[in-house]
Amino acid sequence: MHELGVIIEVVKKVESFAKKNRIVEIDTLVLQIGELSSMVPKYVEACYPAAVDGTLLQDTKLKIEILPCNAICKNCNKVFNLIEAQKKCPDCESEEWDLLGGNEFLIKEIIAC
Amino acid sequence: MDKFKVIEIKESVFEDNERQANLLREKLEKENVFLLNLMSSPGSGKTTTVLRTIEALKDEMRIGVLEADIDSDVDAHAVVQTGVEVIQLHTGGMCHLDADMTKQGLLELGTKEIDFAILENVGNLVCPAEFDTGASKNAMILSVPEGDDKPLKYPLMFSMVNVLLINKIDTIDYFDFDLDAVKKRAKKLNPNIKIIPISAKTGEGINEWVDWIRTQVKK
Repeated sequence: MHELGVIIEVVKKVESFAKKNRIVEIDTLVLQIGELSSMVPKYVEACYPAAVDGTLLQDTKLKIEILPCNAICKNCNKVFNLIEAQKKCPDCESEEWDLLGGNEFLIKEIIAC
Repeated sequence: MDKFKVIEIKESVFEDNERQANLLREKLEKENVFLLNLMSSPGSGKTTTVLRTIEALKDEMRIGVLEADIDSDVDAHAVVQTGVEVIQLHTGGMCHLDADMTKQGLLELGTKEIDFAILENVGNLVCPAEFDTGASKNAMILSVPEGDDKPLKYPLMFSMVNVLLINKIDTIDYFDFDLDAVKKRAKKLNPNIKIIPISAKTGEGINEWVDWIRTQVKK
């Protein structure tokens, strides 16, 4: 459970972004989390209220978008979801693939004024 | 609601840390300090390994140790007995160290005063693997009682280290630990990984380990 420390970092980043851009109110914070990221969305949501307490984001809603962990098969070029396919190409069963995404942990955007 | 607008940020949360880590690595390279980030689970023998390493090398190079713990300073006390400089870093509940904390600790040690700094990271096989500390090289310890399945369970850690020490090798007869399987699993994740079986207790394998450190340290 390292979500809290990381979310506190996110809040600091957003606060400094808001300050720089003269934003006074943030309605929603949108994060993107890859399926392979060590950040577990459920825990991010659980510790979010503690992380924003007393900050500019105190009343800001949190929205999380999950990014799929897709891979491309080196053998037949099939693009597939790594977790669903259990790390094997569903077409040719090759275990040689390149990861296309899924490790992300991004601050996507804020809805603010 | 219409006064609100969507403002795109698109920033990787870990980017800041990566940038700071790279800056720290460059600085250390320039100042001829070799910083080793040592990671493992709790109880794998990190501190005993650090003590062995200091014992073997302290007459030939200036060593400093950064002890990272969530709380307490038991490890720092043990290391202080060896006579080398030790800084205790408290992560305050955080399960890993980042580049900034590492830098603060190194500044306290004084980079001009040391050739070789050991960063004993928080005992944890998950989070420390995700945060670049800015270390010159990374090493991890897997101890025999932990089991040979760990590369399968914690692939990121095994894929990012330069050296894997397999500690408590003197106990291998008492556990179902398949050394060849670990080597194969680790090499599959990380073909360039250097694997050294050691026993921090009996001293087995320590020579090979400290020889590797000697090749990294510039005096």
